[in-house]
Amino acid sequence: MAQVVLKNITKRWDSFVGVDNQSLEIKDKEFLVLLGPSGCGKTTTMRMIAGLEEPTSGEIWIGERMVNDDLPKDRDIAMVFQNYGLYPHMTIFENIAYPLRVRGTNLDDIGPRVKKAARQVELEKLLDRKPKALSGGQRQRVALARAIVRSPKVFLMDEPLSNLDAKLRVTMRTELKHLSRELRVTTVYVTHDQIEAMTLADRVAVMKDGAIQQLGTPDAIYNDPANVFVASFIGSPPMNLINGSVSDGHFITTGGTRLVPVNVPCNGPVILGTRADDITVSDAGAGDLDVKIYAFENTGESSLLTVQWGAQRVIARGDRHLRKQQDDIIGVRLDPDHIYLFDPETGRRLR
Amino acid sequence: MALFSNRQRKTISTVTQIVLILMSIAVMLVPILWIAMAAFKNQVDVFQLKLFFTPTTENFKTIFDSPYALGDKLLNSTIVALITVVIVIPVATLAAYSFSRFRLLFQSAMLVTILLTQFLPAVVIILPFFVMFRDIGLLDTRLGLVLVNLAIVMPFAIWMIKGFIDGIPIDTEEAALVDGSSRLQVIRNIVLPMAAPGLLTSAIFCFIISWNEFLFALILTNKNATTLPIGLALFKAEEGDLWHLLSAAGIIIMIPMFLLSLSIRKYFVQGMTMGAVR
Repeated sequence: MAQVVLKNITKRWDSFVGVDNQSLEIKDKEFLVLLGPSGCGKTTTMRMIAGLEEPTSGEIWIGERMVNDDLPKDRDIAMVFQNYGLYPHMTIFENIAYPLRVRGTNLDDIGPRVKKAARQVELEKLLDRKPKALSGGQRQRVALARAIVRSPKVFLMDEPLSNLDAKLRVTMRTELKHLSRELRVTTVYVTHDQIEAMTLADRVAVMKDGAIQQLGTPDAIYNDPANVFVASFIGSPPMNLINGSVSDGHFITTGGTRLVPVNVPCNGPVILGTRADDITVSDAGAGDLDVKIYAFENTGESSLLTVQWGAQRVIARGDRHLRKQQDDIIGVRLDPDHIYLFDPETGRRLR
Repeated sequence: MALFSNRQRKTISTVTQIVLILMSIAVMLVPILWIAMAAFKNQVDVFQLKLFFTPTTENFKTIFDSPYALGDKLLNSTIVALITVVIVIPVATLAAYSFSRFRLLFQSAMLVTILLTQFLPAVVIILPFFVMFRDIGLLDTRLGLVLVNLAIVMPFAIWMIKGFIDGIPIDTEEAALVDGSSRLQVIRNIVLPMAAPGLLTSAIFCFIISWNEFLFALILTNKNATTLPIGLALFKAEEGDLWHLLSAAGIIIMIPMFLLSLSIRKYFVQGMTMGAVR
């Protein structure tokens, strides 16, 4: 049990900056997700915690110890890899037992502990097999069991679900959540999937271009984004970003329509963000603005209406019983309590 | 209208293929068949293309007796090839691992240089070798031959083993590092078992190269350390080449190679399917 602290960590390869002077504190027993598009530095950050990558500058602390100069084996961590990283020449039992064996655990202890870990991920029946006889989901379970067989200070998980097919990913996500709340070990989890981040995390660190854009609970990340990038990266469909301006405490569209009142003290051009769920769909004339439907999509649990909004397109979510046709005219109304204003120059949130 | 129907064309192509394959096989196998038969013929029968004759094992007896004493050469060949392999595989494995996994100074330059040594014609460097070996007393010794063979097979082994190690997913090694292994434990517990089929294949290839090596053995040995291929040259007599004895010796040289090739096939297939875990 331990917290992980990164102090002014930088990773540079020649002129390329992977992680740019970032600090981060992961609390004891916390499940922290590093979320971002590929190449944003999230995996590099995790690999530096693991000791598989050396930071160019900065300090990494695990518990009460600065581990910059420690080898991975001395950091008391366990890691789950995207490609599982199983040992193909060993049986599942030997795979799970490896961390114990290589650390010289008493031979009598190994059997029971491997069996316990295997039971936790429902693998007891497969212990005699080799990895190649297992399905992808089962292999990922082996990797998990190998991580939990010891009681490490920190779990590191590098996109553990991204090699699984969509259906299995959802099941494994739930199991992972259950397991993590049961074990309560400090965990750093890397993913580019915002649903995984939302569902698994205690806190999420959204990264882009080697810098943390926002650090907060899934709630805060979703409902209180710090900038345009976070707003557009989180949520499916992504948050609508509408160009316009503010004057007299109202948002004015580029077409000149006076729309919702804003309670942010600002003037001039802004980007207004609003989620599909916060746009109310009504009949033509009954909303704040009439727009034409560009595409109507029925997803089963709701309907998605992409509408032409001047030169932009905006997505609104409608009732699951709503039926409309392409090119229909509908009215939309924005919820003034759930709009976000961003500075068009810096992308920063205006509060 | 087409000259042949589709079906006919298919048949013609199949027949052509079979004929070509049979011809290639004939070109490769007929000489071996000839040797295999000649080895059991007596000197008179050798030049007659008789398929039916009274086989004799006399030739094999003769070549192991004095003055030919092929037994000594067999021993030399075996010792030289074995020691070469025993040294080359561990050294080449460590070198290949470093080339594969670490960022080394002048890495590609070193790799290319290692490869370049393979392009050097042996004839070019054989004289310096002879002079050097004469001066330090390695002429006509097994140790000398082992050294030469090492120089010949080491680059080859490094490149070949590097290929096998490159095929091992880095994730697997990193998992082992995080799980608590030191670098040497990773090599011993993970890399070696996973690369084992490749290492075995490389070992057998190196053995074959050493076993068949002729030019250096011809120049650098004359009596005590001569190997089997050199032994073949003994069968030139005043009355001409003793083909029945040459053939018998040829069989002795070929049999171990034949067996090794068979075993390679098995491991080579295993080596290729080994990295299938993802």
